[in-house]
Amino acid sequence: MKALKELFDRIVQRVNINLRELAFDVQPFVKDLVQFNQLVKFYAFYGITPHHLLDFQFRHSNLAGSYFLGKCRTTNSILYKSDIRGDELKKKGDIFQYQDFQIPVSKDEGIRIEDSFLIKTLVHNYSHDPETLEKFFINNTLSTHYANIHGSPTDGSFLGPFATVDLTTMNDCVIGTFSYVQAGEISHLNIDPGTVWVRSPNNFNFLYRYPQDKLSHYIHFAAGAPPQGLLIDFVEDRKEAFQRVFETMTIDPSVAVPHNASLDRFAVIKPKTHISDNVLVAQRAFLQNAWMGKGANAQENCYIINSRLEGFNVTAHGAKIIEADLGLNVFVGFNSFLRGRPECRLSIGKESIIMPHTIIDIKEPLKIPAGHLVWGLVTCPADLETNSIALQALTKTNEAFALGSMFFEGHGARFVTAFRDRIQHILEANGAFYDGMKNKGHAQKNQNISFNTIQPYPEGEFKGVYPTIIIRP
Amino acid sequence: MEKYLVRDLMVPLSEYATVHVGATLFDAVLALEKAQEEFDHTRYKHRGILIMDKNNRVIGKLSHLDTLRALEPKPDEVHGIKELGQFGFSAKFVRNLRKQQRRQGEPLKDLCKKAVMLRVEDFMHTTAEDEFIDHAATLDMAIHQLVQDKLLSLMVTRDDNTIGILRLADVFAAVYHAMKECTL
Repeated sequence: MKALKELFDRIVQRVNINLRELAFDVQPFVKDLVQFNQLVKFYAFYGITPHHLLDFQFRHSNLAGSYFLGKCRTTNSILYKSDIRGDELKKKGDIFQYQDFQIPVSKDEGIRIEDSFLIKTLVHNYSHDPETLEKFFINNTLSTHYANIHGSPTDGSFLGPFATVDLTTMNDCVIGTFSYVQAGEISHLNIDPGTVWVRSPNNFNFLYRYPQDKLSHYIHFAAGAPPQGLLIDFVEDRKEAFQRVFETMTIDPSVAVPHNASLDRFAVIKPKTHISDNVLVAQRAFLQNAWMGKGANAQENCYIINSRLEGFNVTAHGAKIIEADLGLNVFVGFNSFLRGRPECRLSIGKESIIMPHTIIDIKEPLKIPAGHLVWGLVTCPADLETNSIALQALTKTNEAFALGSMFFEGHGARFVTAFRDRIQHILEANGAFYDGMKNKGHAQKNQNISFNTIQPYPEGEFKGVYPTIIIRP
Repeated sequence: MEKYLVRDLMVPLSEYATVHVGATLFDAVLALEKAQEEFDHTRYKHRGILIMDKNNRVIGKLSHLDTLRALEPKPDEVHGIKELGQFGFSAKFVRNLRKQQRRQGEPLKDLCKKAVMLRVEDFMHTTAEDEFIDHAATLDMAIHQLVQDKLLSLMVTRDDNTIGILRLADVFAAVYHAMKECTL
């Protein structure tokens, strides 16, 4: 396993060189975080469909348990149980609108991962950086458990567990555990754990920071130990169900799936789950006694348990919904953790927006009114006073204000419009509005995917390293 | 100018306001008042209090600003306003939040009561290595050190003991007089 160890050392060194100005050493965080013998245990796999590009190049990399779809190159990298989902990449001939520029895309966009170590990380969406339209790169980067790199070209950075970078080009940054950043472009920043930051210069700026003592109950990551906390326990407790799914060659859906919906064969479906028309259930999603209304979706690493989603609900990557009832068009952002209890359910009124990385964890019934924006940590009805606002009220504000630990500056209407447009785009892309003729999306295009597996050298100096593999139509 | 040495312009420690570690802010203010009264009234007034350890070595300085800072809400009371700038919030917003917080905070009278309980070492500026100068150094060297490190004073040493303080005001006065002599 000499080559694999050298590869790991090389990546750590390269990340550290990039983060030297922040005096951040990744070595103590990642040493022994994933045992080397784990890296040789799992096969990697890629999807083939008539609707997606098929263009892969894997060079001098370990890809244990990772999944690839679309167009991707990996070089000198370790990808452990990561999802590299290239089904929304820009295509040659597309016109990319940026401010007043209409920029033609000169060739199919591809994801390029070099000198990076991604652990259980999701890479998805297309890059929004007008400077690099055809290349969505991830270089010299280390990301840890359940991080999301979403449309974000990334260089020289570290992402803590459950961290998300969304539509943001990032250079030499540390994104703390459970932090969410959507800020266009950032460099040389060390973002504290539990920071939720959404900024569009000249339009709006939203910032919330979790109280560290309360966040650590849910997720905590320190050098020398794996990530700990309720979020990790929650996922670990359901790990076995996924093992069965990944070990079985063919698997029949255990619930009825309409012809216009998609249930990924690598999702876990437990009894009493209902799938309506145009529903998308992505791989590594977990549904148990979940009622999925028309056009609802459950993206990668989502858990929906004992809950009812009325329809056109977006449950973004990594979100968890337990003992809850969601009205029509409710959006639940990345990695949110919404937990009601059997005797005190969580109810979210229609068209509400639950901000990415929101934690709602209640021990008494909670009703969130329709059309509200909710963020941060909510454990009781009183918390809504400082952690929510009616969307209608927000659209009317052009004044900067602080509410609890949240700061907002800019045009409220633009903030709400940006979110609503994004939700609309996600629903469209997922095929929620498919009418049998038009508006096809992932729910229709991802129904029949063939999965091929690839494996590394089983022993010797290159044990764990995959041979150079080029896959094309 | 060259004829001036640091020791010619310094204020001896015995004429400066000093307190020991453990003293309260109120003790420091009293020491300053006493030193002002006893000091040469034709010279610039003192603008700080030196903090000494138990071996009578200067370990820090408490300026007017440090004293006022002690009256402000503590950093952990400001709910992260300090870092808002790095997240792209406007200076105007941050300023307004501070004002709002100040209005909602404790009135100054109560803060003053609290301040007499506060210890000087918690608010002093700790003297760094580059803030010391030998008593026999020339004024040129002292000016260079003050300007280079943007300092308001230098601690004057002799045989590793601090014997006085060279204030920017006194240096400026010396330069000012030298300039006048040139003109004449």
